[in-house]
Amino acid sequence: MSAVLNENADAAGDVTKGAISINDVVKIYDPDGAAVMAVDHCSIDIPAGEICMIVGPSGCGKTTLLNAIAGFHDITSGSIHLDGELLCGPEKPQAEPGSDRIVVFQNGALFPWKTNLENIAFGPMMAGKLSKQEIYDKARSMMADAGLSGTENNYPGEVSSGLRRRVEIVRALMNDPKVLLFDEPYRALDSLTKSVMHEALLEIYYRNKVTIFFITHDLEEAIFLGHRLIIMSSRPCKPKKIVEVDIPHPRDYSVLTSPRFREIMIEAKDVVHEEAQKAFDAGEKEG
Amino acid sequence: MTMTKLKEKLFSRAALRGIIAIFIFIALWETGARSEQWFGYRFPFLGLVPPPSDVAASWGGLIGDPSYWQSWYMSFLRVFGGFMAAVVIGIPLGLFMAVNKTFYGMAFPSFEVLRPIPPLAWVPASIIFWPTQELSIAFVTFLGAFYTIVINVLGGARSINKQFLQAAQSMGASQWDIFRRIVLPATLPSIVVGSAVGMGITWEVVVAAEMISGGGSSGGGAGGGLGFFIWSSYVGGSYEQIIVGMISIGIAGYMSSELLRQLGGFLTPWLKTR
Amino acid sequence: MDQFVDLLKSAMPFRMVPDNLIRDIAEICTQHSFAARENIYNLGDIADDVYIVSSGSVQHILGADSGTSQHEKIMRRGDMFGWAAVLEGQNTRLAATSSKEPTQVIRINGKELTRLLETDPAVGDVVMTRFATMINKEFSVPRSIADLVPGFKQALTAKSLQGSEVTTMALTVYRISTWLKSPRPYLMIIGFAFVLGFWYLSVEIWKLPRFVDMPGPTEVFTEWFSKDPYYGLSVYTPEYYKHIGISLRRIAFAFFLATGLGVPLGLFLGWSKSFREFIFPLFEVLRPIPVLAWVPLAIIIFSGSETPVVFLTFLASFFATTLNTMLGVESIDESYSRAAYCLGASRWQTFIHVVVPGAMPYIFTGLQISIGVAWFSLVAGEMVSGQFGLGYLINTSYMMIEYPKIIIGMITLGIIGYSTSAMVRMMGDYLMQWRVRELALGDN
Repeated sequence: MSAVLNENADAAGDVTKGAISINDVVKIYDPDGAAVMAVDHCSIDIPAGEICMIVGPSGCGKTTLLNAIAGFHDITSGSIHLDGELLCGPEKPQAEPGSDRIVVFQNGALFPWKTNLENIAFGPMMAGKLSKQEIYDKARSMMADAGLSGTENNYPGEVSSGLRRRVEIVRALMNDPKVLLFDEPYRALDSLTKSVMHEALLEIYYRNKVTIFFITHDLEEAIFLGHRLIIMSSRPCKPKKIVEVDIPHPRDYSVLTSPRFREIMIEAKDVVHEEAQKAFDAGEKEG
Repeated sequence: MTMTKLKEKLFSRAALRGIIAIFIFIALWETGARSEQWFGYRFPFLGLVPPPSDVAASWGGLIGDPSYWQSWYMSFLRVFGGFMAAVVIGIPLGLFMAVNKTFYGMAFPSFEVLRPIPPLAWVPASIIFWPTQELSIAFVTFLGAFYTIVINVLGGARSINKQFLQAAQSMGASQWDIFRRIVLPATLPSIVVGSAVGMGITWEVVVAAEMISGGGSSGGGAGGGLGFFIWSSYVGGSYEQIIVGMISIGIAGYMSSELLRQLGGFLTPWLKTR
Repeated sequence: MDQFVDLLKSAMPFRMVPDNLIRDIAEICTQHSFAARENIYNLGDIADDVYIVSSGSVQHILGADSGTSQHEKIMRRGDMFGWAAVLEGQNTRLAATSSKEPTQVIRINGKELTRLLETDPAVGDVVMTRFATMINKEFSVPRSIADLVPGFKQALTAKSLQGSEVTTMALTVYRISTWLKSPRPYLMIIGFAFVLGFWYLSVEIWKLPRFVDMPGPTEVFTEWFSKDPYYGLSVYTPEYYKHIGISLRRIAFAFFLATGLGVPLGLFLGWSKSFREFIFPLFEVLRPIPVLAWVPLAIIIFSGSETPVVFLTFLASFFATTLNTMLGVESIDESYSRAAYCLGASRWQTFIHVVVPGAMPYIFTGLQISIGVAWFSLVAGEMVSGQFGLGYLINTSYMMIEYPKIIIGMITLGIIGYSTSAMVRMMGDYLMQWRVRELALGDN
């Protein structure tokens, strides 16, 4: 359990849902008969409301783990639970995708043929429980909260990638998810936009209590955002080192130059570098 | 592929399903075609078609007949001739248009204006122009594949990542070098695709031309070829042979396209690693 | 100037602004000094400049209008105040400020700063967002006021066209005007001149051997446009339009039938793995048979001379449409359907909201191919069987040795074929506004 999280409970609010429990998960791919182990007996406990950063070199299998939680892939053995309920396990190797765990994709998956507003309203519209007017009103107010007013009727192809990311996150939040799964979402953004995205993400986090499972290879991003870093080994992936980030929330940009930040960087850097070197030597392709 | 792999593929669930569907199709065909014979009621449309069993029998007989294989040979010859002409003229033309903006500006609009005219519409004009019937068929065949190949080559050459060219220039490559070592290989996949599609069109045109000029109004002349085979089977009343001809052309067309694809794969090994 | 640059960079909104823009901002900075306990400005004063403390300290007291929960603040080096100067619709000061000790500040005119940031909208947008965050976080001012910073989102999405008002019409007009200004129209004319010239010269002037029997351009064009044509066919004769009309009618019928059957079939083939495993092999066995090889069979099965022709055209269109639609579905990025599932959509909902719209661009490319193929088959069919129509016209003209009509027929085919293809493309553009706008605004 993360002591850090409990200390900052008032920043995160009282969070009771969204605890992920990954137990001894193994994933073996079987392309052309040559068994490739992507995930090697991985066990991680993520308490409700934690921002858990998964850091590791390219191709090590972090995305496989995310896909297993989301329900896009099956697992070979082990089990994953969400708030005590089974997502996938021995009897049920593949979880069903659902709006309690929503993924924000690396290259963005906003539907290009729908306007921003239509995209954001998509989840509730599919569920069909509220009237169209209610859904659109809620969508508009959430967009205003995120500083997106004025772009409702634009198509994703017309606006900047930073803006698209924020729309995608709001789209997810409309469905009150327990967990947000981020698959290196800011990888393709320039550092200027990235820093704004980080602060925007934290702001959203402080307002909505969700568990965040965030994959990144950017150490600075990881330490800035996360309560905890879980540093993965190169393929097959397995938690190698856990680093607690005890910088208090709410955080802002000034954290980046604080001495504690530097200290944690140093603590994490060597391990990350070692695994990155291994991946490089093995000629891993990016995931 | 090893023997076990081949067996695995052949008997996989997917393959089995495909085979089942084809069997059902043939069974329905047989039933419909023989409906008058079996049920005394002639099924609309299908009832007029020769049944697969008769077709198979007819085919068995034809396999021993040299003129049947002669038809294959004639068609292949025409396809090959027209296709090679399209490749030999089309690829350089496409590449030149991609590389030289002035030439592109002059030639492409005219090319685009002529393209919508279906190749077969050229048949009479072609017959008037060329001295022999063979050449007129060859010209029309050439046209069919030519347009496709040029368009594909152009598209491929123009979508080459500019950074490849810039990288080469910064390393001091000459214009000819850039062309030979970057533009050509980068366009190769498009050339292969264009050729495969062009090949399919070539068969269409050859068959049509054989039917029209051999069996159509122009009468007499070289004749021969599978298209002519189909037409004369129709005129001669041996309907089973029509279907034999159809299937034969289908097989011939598929084989030539497949051959091209394999050749293409051989020339572009780097695409396989995706 | 350089000390301005360092100071600017230490202020939160300007962190990570590119150097050239920082230098531009530094140019419009002015420096001021205040003695101890000197008043800098009062509540209600005109808000013209933004201030950054260079040395010393400043006491900053926010008034009630600011809605803040924390009224007093001490500003030191690198801290920014006077930000009311960049809020839209806020012309007066929200705070009273005075120096606590001897203090130096730099001042930046709010309007000029905004104008400068507008020149690079992407960066400007970020800077303004940081302003808003700073105002909200450090001064505890509610977002309703903090968000009064100007936004450049409109500038971001318009280059020469307004973002949400891009229409096909505007785009076409823009494209045409650019085209006319380039050398392209003139090269095109030169190219046509070459072709026509060659035709003219070879047939009528040089009378080259092969070209003896060919009709020349003069003959063709005079015939085509004459009120009393020698062979009875020109733009003035009803017979001409009869042929065109009949061909068009056949194409329309075959094409729409093929689309109506082919698109749903293609969509299902792409979407359902089981369905594809059953049906696709059968499809692929039938497809290589050239459409024209079906002619005799079609004549046998269908009575009359009209149906076989239409059937052939339909068949060709059908195969092309189905295949391209299926490939389109397969080309859709997996992430889209995954995102839909995550958001709670059922398989059917995903099919309607993701697969169908996602495949549309490919479907329309397929439709353009399909109509080209339809014309190809129609002409062949008309030449072999059937009455009237452009293919029939060309064939009979040849038989009756009325050669100019052949060329007229060919040119007409070209024009009509191109127009129908263009109509399909325009239909696609109309239905896929999102794609038109995406492509128009370049890569983002």
